[in-house]
Amino acid sequence: MTVEAQRIELFFEGIKKLPEMAQPVEMSDADRLHQVKTTFLAKLNRRMAVDLESCVHCGQCAEACHYYNATQDPKYTPIRKVELLKRVYQRELSPTRWLRRLWTRDITLDEVNEWIALVYDSCTECGRCFMVCPMGINIPAMVNVSRQAFANAGLIPVELRAMEQEQYAGNTLFGIGPDQTEAAIREIGDKIGVEVPFNKEKADVLLLTSVVEVMVFTDQIASAIKVLNHLKLNWTLHMDGFEAANFGMLSGFEPLQKRAGDRIVKTAKKIGAKTILVPECGHAFPSLRWDQANEDEQEFPFEVLTMAELMARELRNGNLRVKPIGKGKTVTFHDPCKIGRHSGVFEEPRAMLGALGVEFREAESSKTVNWCCGGGAGVFLLNSAADLRQGAWKIKQAQIDATGAEGVVLSCASCRLNFEKGARNNHWDKPIESLLSLVAENLDE
Amino acid sequence: MSLLDFARGPGMHWALIILLVGIVWRVLGTLFLAAEKDYSAARQSGVWPGIRAILRRFWPHSEFVKPTLFHLVAGYTLHIGLFVVIFLFAPHILWFADLLGLPAWANLPNNLIMLAGALTAASLVAFVLRRMTHPVMRRISGFDDYASNIVTLLPVVTGLLAFAHTPIAPYQTLLGLHLLSVELLFVWIPLSKLAHALFFIPSRFQLGAALGRRGVKV
Repeated sequence: MTVEAQRIELFFEGIKKLPEMAQPVEMSDADRLHQVKTTFLAKLNRRMAVDLESCVHCGQCAEACHYYNATQDPKYTPIRKVELLKRVYQRELSPTRWLRRLWTRDITLDEVNEWIALVYDSCTECGRCFMVCPMGINIPAMVNVSRQAFANAGLIPVELRAMEQEQYAGNTLFGIGPDQTEAAIREIGDKIGVEVPFNKEKADVLLLTSVVEVMVFTDQIASAIKVLNHLKLNWTLHMDGFEAANFGMLSGFEPLQKRAGDRIVKTAKKIGAKTILVPECGHAFPSLRWDQANEDEQEFPFEVLTMAELMARELRNGNLRVKPIGKGKTVTFHDPCKIGRHSGVFEEPRAMLGALGVEFREAESSKTVNWCCGGGAGVFLLNSAADLRQGAWKIKQAQIDATGAEGVVLSCASCRLNFEKGARNNHWDKPIESLLSLVAENLDE
Repeated sequence: MSLLDFARGPGMHWALIILLVGIVWRVLGTLFLAAEKDYSAARQSGVWPGIRAILRRFWPHSEFVKPTLFHLVAGYTLHIGLFVVIFLFAPHILWFADLLGLPAWANLPNNLIMLAGALTAASLVAFVLRRMTHPVMRRISGFDDYASNIVTLLPVVTGLLAFAHTPIAPYQTLLGLHLLSVELLFVWIPLSKLAHALFFIPSRFQLGAALGRRGVKV
């Protein structure tokens, strides 16, 4: 077993122990129900109202959902996952609420408890459903609000709750905080013979990392260091704001989402960064790129980029030079939902693979209609979602196999973890590679 | 006052008032809810992607044509059929022209209208049956879904019966029932999910715009 394989196994063992770490959230049943309803009402805005008013209950969204496709169970129909939010809207806020109350039941705590598995275990907020919806209803946005309502009611699943509580209380994840991260990355720097520029007072680029990279995919950190040094950028890793993973966003606990994002924003402002560079971490990118400015209600004086965007831009500018690998290597690319379908980063990874000269095989359903890996939005942490993940993985595996590519390249550590898990469970032996690492290995120095 | 007199007179009068006031109430009541400003830096304007989404969603992405074929066929049959029957049937054109003070426009031959009416009714029945039998649709359907289906079906069926002078009732009665069922539809539109006819445009636009400003074409 390779070192990386050992790390992956250890990480999955760690996930199994998360339930023991979660602290219970004491609240009466009446208070929980009240919290769910008041959060729904506070969060329901024009956008969601228009979406809910336009739904005709056609159920076509089911056809796009990997969990419905894997199980054929109608309870996983995406629009049904926001049923409780919809009913609160129809009874309390809709212009025709006085009439709709006649046939719309009030929500109950039993239903809330039943829906925990629907808004957490069986939705990765991947957004494939909004690609099929003839009305263009943004179901993931409403699932996210449902998570926020459940979080306020103390109903986050134990694994995500453990992570949320740890990050909120102490700025650590799996016991890894600033000191451990700095030590681990210093060691990575030593291995590749580079002194890592920690905690600079001023820098143009603030590089982030994630706990999954520190614990498992250390190659991604080493690769980021190599690429930034190759580009001769004035960059730093700052221990005041380094953690890209945001368990506030994943769990729905908004105070943490804002706090975790603010740590980074404050650090970027303090050092005068022009660019925040998000590592290969799916949810971290939209969290910072799209959500954080709205959490803070202000425009940012810096840009937020994925590694793929930076590399493709510098490739175009002639600052990034790579050695072609050649057509002997055939690969396909998995578009992470949060970076692709939610954030528009499609061409940059393909430009990098093109520059590397590999034989690229586009998957049949890719880009905006790519199948989710089945583990996003924190689902890869949930032990209760293991069977659902396995079902979704089968779809993913078939999609990759159909390309005939020898391996798959991706740019999200959560996807990569889920791929590794799926591959192990199903004896699938195709190489799973990070785009960043593939580029870093082939820099033309 | 006979049934037909009521349906032609006060019935239609009040149904039209409820339709118009109801639509304004429903649309304004929804659009006046708070809208959040987006502070994130856009990759591009969302306006054109929003308009594109309104048009693009008239046909599914190639990925989804096969899995949604029933909705595609039955949905287009229903909506085109309704359009033809409502706006291209000679007596309906005269009614609209009189109501709106417009010159009458060209009509389709009656046999084509009958065919369109029959196909519309068939597609509505197909939707009800699908709703009752398909596991996904059955699971997510409620009173509004079935009621809206039936309320849309009634004017089509009564219209076909009146047009054919079916001997089950005097023509005057059938025409009166047809008008009453139309009035029920007018009243039901602003109160029910039939209002999707108004909301599908802003709904498509806002998804296209929100993702368009992120650089995603939907």
